[in-house]
Amino acid sequence: MISLLLSGCAAGVTFDVDAPPERLSSTRLMRWEGDAGPSYGADVVPYEVNTPLFSNHAAKDRAMWLPPGEAATYDPVAAFDLPEGTILIKSFSFPADLREPDVDRRLIETRLLVRGPVGWVGFPYIWDDAGRDAVLSVAGGRTDVSIINEEGTPLDFTYVVPQKNQCVDCHELTGDDDEGYTTPIGIKARHLHRAVAGTDQLADLADRGLLVGLPPADELPAATDWASISLDDLASWSDAKVEAVTRDYLDMNCAHCHNRAGTEGVTSQLFLDPYEQDPFHLGVCKRPGSAGKGGVGRTFDIVPGDHEASIFWYRMQTEDLGSMMPDIGRELVHTQGVRLVEAWIDRMEGSCSE
Amino acid sequence: MLRLLAPLLLAACTGGGARPEGFDAVACADLTATTCVEVAGGDTTLLQESANSLSDGMTLVLGEGTFMLDNSVTLRGGDGVTLIGQGIDSTILDFSSATTQGNGVDVVGDDFTIRSLTIQDSNKDGLRIEDSEHVTIQRVKVTWTGGPSPDNGAYGLYPVRVSDVLMEDSEAYNASDAGIYVGQCVGATVRNNIAKANVAGIEIENTQYADVYGNLAEDNTGGLLIFDLPGNPVVGRDIHVHDNVVRSNNRDNFAPGGTVQGIPAGTGTFLLASRRVELRDNTYEDNRTSDIAILSGLAIEPDPMAWAIQTADLRGDWEDLGLPVEGGALLNFATTEVLITGNSHSGSGTDPDGADLVERELGFLLSVVYGDTRVDDILYDAIEESAFHPTEATGNSNDNHICVHAESGATFASLDLETLGARAAALDFGSVEDLYRPAAPFAPFDCDALTAGPVVGPTAP
Repeated sequence: MISLLLSGCAAGVTFDVDAPPERLSSTRLMRWEGDAGPSYGADVVPYEVNTPLFSNHAAKDRAMWLPPGEAATYDPVAAFDLPEGTILIKSFSFPADLREPDVDRRLIETRLLVRGPVGWVGFPYIWDDAGRDAVLSVAGGRTDVSIINEEGTPLDFTYVVPQKNQCVDCHELTGDDDEGYTTPIGIKARHLHRAVAGTDQLADLADRGLLVGLPPADELPAATDWASISLDDLASWSDAKVEAVTRDYLDMNCAHCHNRAGTEGVTSQLFLDPYEQDPFHLGVCKRPGSAGKGGVGRTFDIVPGDHEASIFWYRMQTEDLGSMMPDIGRELVHTQGVRLVEAWIDRMEGSCSE
Repeated sequence: MLRLLAPLLLAACTGGGARPEGFDAVACADLTATTCVEVAGGDTTLLQESANSLSDGMTLVLGEGTFMLDNSVTLRGGDGVTLIGQGIDSTILDFSSATTQGNGVDVVGDDFTIRSLTIQDSNKDGLRIEDSEHVTIQRVKVTWTGGPSPDNGAYGLYPVRVSDVLMEDSEAYNASDAGIYVGQCVGATVRNNIAKANVAGIEIENTQYADVYGNLAEDNTGGLLIFDLPGNPVVGRDIHVHDNVVRSNNRDNFAPGGTVQGIPAGTGTFLLASRRVELRDNTYEDNRTSDIAILSGLAIEPDPMAWAIQTADLRGDWEDLGLPVEGGALLNFATTEVLITGNSHSGSGTDPDGADLVERELGFLLSVVYGDTRVDDILYDAIEESAFHPTEATGNSNDNHICVHAESGATFASLDLETLGARAAALDFGSVEDLYRPAAPFAPFDCDALTAGPVVGPTAP
C-alpha cells in the first residue's frame, strides 16, 4: 500500500539544491525493503556499471531519475549530458556475509547527485538503523561495520560517510575555462554498456526515452564486466587481457582524480584514464610529485617488472593513514585490485635509471 | 534573510561591550562579511556543518578552544571564504583522532583566507590549498605534537597550484616532508614565517615569481630549498630569496620516502633545476654539510628525457627563458641564471652528513672529498659546464651564468660531482685538490647580474 502511494507521487519529484530536503523520504525517490533492497518511486530507473569502484566491499544500488520528458545525450567518452533536475541515487549497504549478498543487508547511506541550475551538487543522506528513513548529513558521519569477506574472514572497520564537500574530491573536473565543475562518473558509455537481465542497458535507456543519440550497438565501447572475471586464473591471462582489465579497474578506481582534467589529481601528473598512452604519465619510472610518506623508500610510481618497488602498488595495498590511495572512500585493502595491479606491473618490461 | 541579519544583530550586542565567550580576539561583529558564523571552541559539529554549507564570501570565526576532528575540514563550493581563529594555539584544530587518511584543512576556493589558528596531527598535510587564486595564509601554525617522526604527515603549509598566494607570520613544525611547501604556484609571497624540525623547512617547487623573505628555517634537515621536479608543467623561475635566516639545519633526515629523503643533514639551501634565482642578504649559520649548493636536476633524475615536458602542457611563462626544446618537449633540468650575493656565512660545513652513500650521495661525497677541510659555503655542481678545471680559472666555463659574490668572506667551490661519484663507486675518493676553489672574486663565476635583468616579483599583494 505504501509503495503504491510512493509510486503515485514520484512523478512529482522536486529537489531544490539550495534548500535540500532534510529527509530522503520526502523526495519520494526510494524506500528500503531490507534484504530485498531498494524500491524506487515511479520513473526512477535502476542501473549498473561494468567495473565498479571499490568501496570497502559495500554493495551499491544505483538509480537515476530524469525530469519527465527529458533525456540524456549520448557521448562516447565523457559523462552523458543529463538535463537539469536529474537525480542520481547511490545507496551503500553491507550484507553480514559477502558470500550471501542478499541476506542481513544493512543500509548505511544514500548519496544523491543532483543537477541544479548551475551544475551538479552532491548530498549525503544517512539512514537510521532500521532503514526507515535517511537524514541529510552534510558533515558526513561514521559507523562501525562488521562483515565476513568472500574468504570467510571477519572484517571490522569504521565506515566513513563523506562530507558534502568531499563529493567533489572524486566528482570534480577542471574545464577549459580553468574553473572546476562537478560531474557524474559512472554515467558513461563504457561503464553502462552491459547486459542487464538480458537487455542491453543503454538500449533500454534509449527505449525508455531517457537517452538520445545512441549509436548502433557495435559502435559502443564497454569496460570489463568485473563480475564476469575471476582472478583465480590470472596467471594464464594474456598480457592484453591483464592490460585491458587493469586499465578498466584503474579508470573507475583512480581516474576520477588521476586524469588530465582532474582538479586534484593533476598535481601528481599521474594519469590513469583509459585513454592515457604516455608511459611516464601512467607512472612508469615517474618520480612522484608529492607522495609524501606514501613512498616509504621507493623512488618511482612504477618500476616495470617489480610491483614491490613501485609506489603505485604500495599505496594501494597499505592501510596506513596518510599513505593510502585512493585518497578517500577506502578503509580496507581491495585484495583483488591489488593482485591485478601486481600482475600488470610485473608484466611490464624495461627498467628505470636511478 | 536570517543569515544576513545575524551579524547585524551581533554587532549591536558587541556595541554594548558584551562579546561572545571565547571570541576575545575576533568575532563576527569585528568583520564586514555579509555571512558570518561564530563556532564556539570545540563545537566540531557546527564547524563541519558550516564548512559543508559554504556560500560565497562566508566567514567562519572559530572560538577559543580545541576542535577534536575525526575527518578533514574540507572547504569547497564558495569563493571569498574566510576561516579565522582566535590566534595560534588559542584555536586548535586537532586531527589526532581522524580515522580517515586526509589532510587537516583541505581547501579549493578562490580568494580564500585562513588566519590565526593551529592545525595539528593530521594524517596527511596540515593545510592544503589547491587550484585556487588569491589565497592568504596568516598566523597559521601547523605541527605534529609528538615531535619529528616519519609517521607524521607530509607537508605542513601546502599551497599547490595557487595563483597569488601570501603566506606570512606562520609556523610549521615536525613535517615528515616539508614544513612550508609552495608548489606549482604562480605569484607567491612567503615572508616572516618559521619552519623548524621538519625534513625540509621551506620548499619553493616548480613555482614562478616568488618573494621569500624574513623567514627562519632552523633545525630542519634542509633549510630552504628551491627546485623543479621532473615532468611538471610549471617551470620554476624568478625566485627572490632574501633576508632570511637559515640556521643549524642539522637534523637527521627522518623522511619515510620521497625526494627529500636525499637531503643530507646540515643542508642550508639548495637550488636544483632552477633558473632566475637571487639569493641575497640571507644569514647562514652552522649548517654542518654546507650553506648553499647549486645543483643540476640530473642529481635527482639522471635521465634527461625524464625531464621532458610537452610545451603544449606548460603553464605560466616560459617562452622567454630560452630553455632547450627537443621534439616539442622542454627540458628544465639545468640550473641557470643564479645570483648569490650579500649573504653572511658562519660556522657551516664542519661535519658533512656522510652517513648514507645510497640515499644521500652528495653528503657522502662531500664528507670523503673534504675530509678534515671545512666544506666551502657555496658549492656548484659543474656537470653541465662545457669546461671544468680544478686550478685554472680560464679552464672553467660559466655557461649557466652562475654569479657568486664573496662579501663577508664566503668561500666557493665548483665540483664535478659526476666524476667524483663515479670514482667513489670504485673506492677512489677524491680530495679538495679535485675541486675548483678560487679565491674571491670567483672568476668565471663573478658576474654581477642575471642576463635578462633582476628577478621579477609577484604582482600581489
